[in-house]
Amino acid sequence: MIFREVEDPDLIAKARRGDVEAYNLLVSRWEKRVFNYLLRLVSNREDAMDVSQEVFLKAYQSLPKLDDPARFSGWLFRIAHNEAFSLLRRRRPETELAGEPRPPELSPRMLPMELSLTVESALNRLSADQREAVLLKVYQGFKFDEMAEILECPVSTVKSRLYTALDLLKVTLAPMQKEILRGES
Amino acid sequence: MNCISPDAKPDWKAYLLGELNPEVSRQAETHLAACSICHEEVATLRVTLDTLSTLREEEVPRRIAFVSDKVFEPRWWQRVFSPTFAAGALVAAAILIHGSMRPGQAQVDAAVNKAISQVEARHTQEMEVLSDLIEQRDKQVANMYLSNAALVR
Repeated sequence: MIFREVEDPDLIAKARRGDVEAYNLLVSRWEKRVFNYLLRLVSNREDAMDVSQEVFLKAYQSLPKLDDPARFSGWLFRIAHNEAFSLLRRRRPETELAGEPRPPELSPRMLPMELSLTVESALNRLSADQREAVLLKVYQGFKFDEMAEILECPVSTVKSRLYTALDLLKVTLAPMQKEILRGES
Repeated sequence: MNCISPDAKPDWKAYLLGELNPEVSRQAETHLAACSICHEEVATLRVTLDTLSTLREEEVPRRIAFVSDKVFEPRWWQRVFSPTFAAGALVAAAILIHGSMRPGQAQVDAAVNKAISQVEARHTQEMEVLSDLIEQRDKQVANMYLSNAALVR
């Protein structure tokens, strides 16, 4: 292939040799995914932005320690996970006082934006561990064993968190979606 | 056909999330086609996952500062240990320490007078050396004239 895209491991190798532009390209490839993962996890845009910044800074500084460049995505998300949970631990009392927001009223005529807000609200009602399992699997597409590496826990724990989360989400979201589908037909 | 025991039931979440290997996945599909309970469960899970996929992906509100930006510049302690910064910091510290000692006016005057007399002494010494050099050169020039005059004669 003539116009073959440069692969991440090639960019990592260049960045390790001090090629700043190669790292810039890596950041531009991954910033949206990392930001969205953090946004859903910490539920605050400014915090998600600050943590994203910190993640890419730490990744740059730790790049020489990355054993296998082919596993860059999992390694990057492990840094993101550590940074996000560090923030969540610091602000836990404040979050508990704030309480959980109520989901919007369900309606068969929901607009895509409202539906998205309902999903966001349903995700926010999960525990941080459960929410993170959904984010990594459903939105980031990691395999169970990759998630176990990111979260530094056994695959059985990953599955337990994810399956519990899906059971809870099923109770909230499935009846609503079925209602919407019925309203459309 | 319905599930006889929970153990015989396929892992439908793993199935829908693409975590089953092809062989197990095929067996699960065979089971699904014949089991109304599992059919309902899979339908509900599928709807849940479809609904989750409606979550909008947000744009990054501002660009991540790249490595060429300020945030990636050396930290303060890294700059402190650079030779240029360290030399400047040493001078600044000396001025600050000197300033913080707050000497009396008499001490200041004495220090100034001492510095002036040292400079004057050095200046006088340099002038004497210069004067000696000029005197020696004048003698050399005079001798050259006398030699040249003798040759002409």
